[in-house]
Amino acid sequence: MLRAAIVGCGKIADAHASQIRRIKGSEIVGVCDREPLMAKQLCERFSVARSFSDVDDLLDSAHPDVVHITTPPASHFDIARACLDRGCHVYIEKPFTIRAGEAEALVALAASNDLKLTAGHDDQFSHVARRMRALVRSGYLGGPALHVESTYCYDLSEPGYARALLGDRQHWVRRLPGGLLQNVISHGIARIAEFFTTDAPQVIAHGFVSPPLRRMGERKIVDELRVIVSEEDRLTAYFTFSSQMRPSVHELRVYGPRNGLLLDQDHEILLRLRGRRFKSYGEKFFPPLLFARQHLSNLVTNAKTFLARDFHMKSGMKYLIEAFYQSILHGTAVPIPYAEILRTARIMDAIFDQLGDATIHRPVFTRERRAYGHV
Amino acid sequence: MLMELDADVIGKDEVILVTGATGFLGPTVVRTLLDRGFRRVRCLTRTAGRETRLPDVDGAGHRVEVFRGNLLSRDDCVAATRDAAVILHLAAARGEKSFPDAFLNSVVTTRNLLDASLRHRCLRRFVNVSSLTVYSNARGWRVPLDESCPVERQPARRSDPYCFAKVKQDEIVTEYGRRFGVPYVIVRPGYVYGRGNEAITGRVGIGTFGVFLHLGGTNTIPFTYVDNCADAIVLAGITGGIDGEVFNVVDDDLPSSRRFLRLYKRAVRRFASIYVPHALSYAACDLWERYADWSEGQLPPVFNRQAWRTYWKRTRYSNDKVKLRLGWMPRVSTAEGLRRYFESCREKLQHA
Repeated sequence: MLRAAIVGCGKIADAHASQIRRIKGSEIVGVCDREPLMAKQLCERFSVARSFSDVDDLLDSAHPDVVHITTPPASHFDIARACLDRGCHVYIEKPFTIRAGEAEALVALAASNDLKLTAGHDDQFSHVARRMRALVRSGYLGGPALHVESTYCYDLSEPGYARALLGDRQHWVRRLPGGLLQNVISHGIARIAEFFTTDAPQVIAHGFVSPPLRRMGERKIVDELRVIVSEEDRLTAYFTFSSQMRPSVHELRVYGPRNGLLLDQDHEILLRLRGRRFKSYGEKFFPPLLFARQHLSNLVTNAKTFLARDFHMKSGMKYLIEAFYQSILHGTAVPIPYAEILRTARIMDAIFDQLGDATIHRPVFTRERRAYGHV
Repeated sequence: MLMELDADVIGKDEVILVTGATGFLGPTVVRTLLDRGFRRVRCLTRTAGRETRLPDVDGAGHRVEVFRGNLLSRDDCVAATRDAAVILHLAAARGEKSFPDAFLNSVVTTRNLLDASLRHRCLRRFVNVSSLTVYSNARGWRVPLDESCPVERQPARRSDPYCFAKVKQDEIVTEYGRRFGVPYVIVRPGYVYGRGNEAITGRVGIGTFGVFLHLGGTNTIPFTYVDNCADAIVLAGITGGIDGEVFNVVDDDLPSSRRFLRLYKRAVRRFASIYVPHALSYAACDLWERYADWSEGQLPPVFNRQAWRTYWKRTRYSNDKVKLRLGWMPRVSTAEGLRRYFESCREKLQHA
């Protein structure tokens, strides 16, 4: 039995609580938020025994084995360090930390305390992402990946989070070094980082505030980003983040020396991009048929998964949590290698460093840094 | 027969704070206060640029103070509630789809406001604007839904963040009344309609599945026109001798869902709709709820029996108490309210 706790009782904490509850052999023993009412509401809705407004009290009284940190990112480092110091394994929501240096420190601390860490890159464990990973490992690409394209869009016209962010000049997202980007692009960057091997690939970034946001008087929130990532003239990647593109896609394309793959996260579609060509007009008629067959196959796969009661919106999170818990219980490898977590953090650092002060607000960390609330 | 009303709890020159003043209901409440001669109305608004929604009162000798602030900030709450004798708390998390967001923007904000008002020791009335959706409506349909009906005991199970937040908001207001003597009144309006809220209420039906499913049938829809609702809120804020009371607000001569839909199609636009009989909609909600449980939330339990009882069960509504104790009467008839509502729906369609 693993005793889990959640620190930060905002929206994403709901997803964690829902998925932890689905994992056999786990129990939520406490939740914590500096706003006691927020902790209590999560407690009540998920029938958790105890709520706390102080992390130390949670750790002292509830004695969790693993702590899920779902607070705003600025507090991740301090809370994670406190948990690791007290012998708890830690699952940190994305973005892992504010700067890569903090991520390195946490990984080192976890290793020295013989504890485990993971990052909330749960999109990498959706059904379709796992199918893609299996194909890559089976050699479908015909060798190591040569080029990766990750597109991650975010529709700011939707109510809810976007409305809160744009309408509130004091919103915590604005105080992140990378602003909106830092809170959102981790999933898309982590997908790229998975294919790289060097610790710190080269990064060229270009970002700007979109015209629609400028018309609203917004000058700080960078919502358009284009990035080139490369590794020793061997592997390259493009990353695109856009608030304007429609459809608002979440896609990954991977090209190898023989074939390619296309992952469409929104529709849970995986397409094989065949490297060989048909002769003459065959190239115009057979590929559409083959694509049609693949789409049908995706439909059947998704339907089967749904009928098997395993097609939850956060199925990737459940898989990641379960895999992380298994690694704790059985002493096996963590689901996301630390090198990949660190690479993601370093690529993000490089992006925010290049975007510079002109567009991104850089905070001076004060007491707020230690605060832990809800995301 | 109207009972004799107690004297007002507030003078014309005392401060009345209106939260959510630039929302859908807020500007009408502010206008109602000004029409009644109140000269110090403080309007709390979070969003910049929405002050233009407030009535322009410069030339009338009234005084409207716009206060920009966020109810999540305790400092803002302290500043906003300074000298306030009456607080009309309209701000709410309408349309939030997540429980934590709805809770944060309804309950935590209300607690901040109550704490702040306690510091100043000058509050004489706190009007908490709640909703009819908090009732469980588990009684038989022949018993009218009134203030004596039980409130949802397990609001989270209805899978409706708004309902959950409103139940918890009412609880915290009641708790502050009991523990700290906060003189509160709770107002629970039905579906507030009018210019600025042109959507068809889900009590009539839903268009979630591509075609409009008409679920209301012969049900009465608990409408209250925005002007009428504003009157009730203001009366709840100023009438003496009603501390700790709850008032439901619905208009007279309410239409059935079927009649409303027919009028809407005739006056605004025609669209296809399919009537779903009550037995069928109940069975579908029951099935959906069971599947959501069985599948561990693969489909969120948004359709469930508790929601069905609230929104689609045949129900009669009573407004006797608000008429009797507050002397409230709907000044805009339902026929006139619907006419204005349809007109604004048409205008919105033309500008879409």
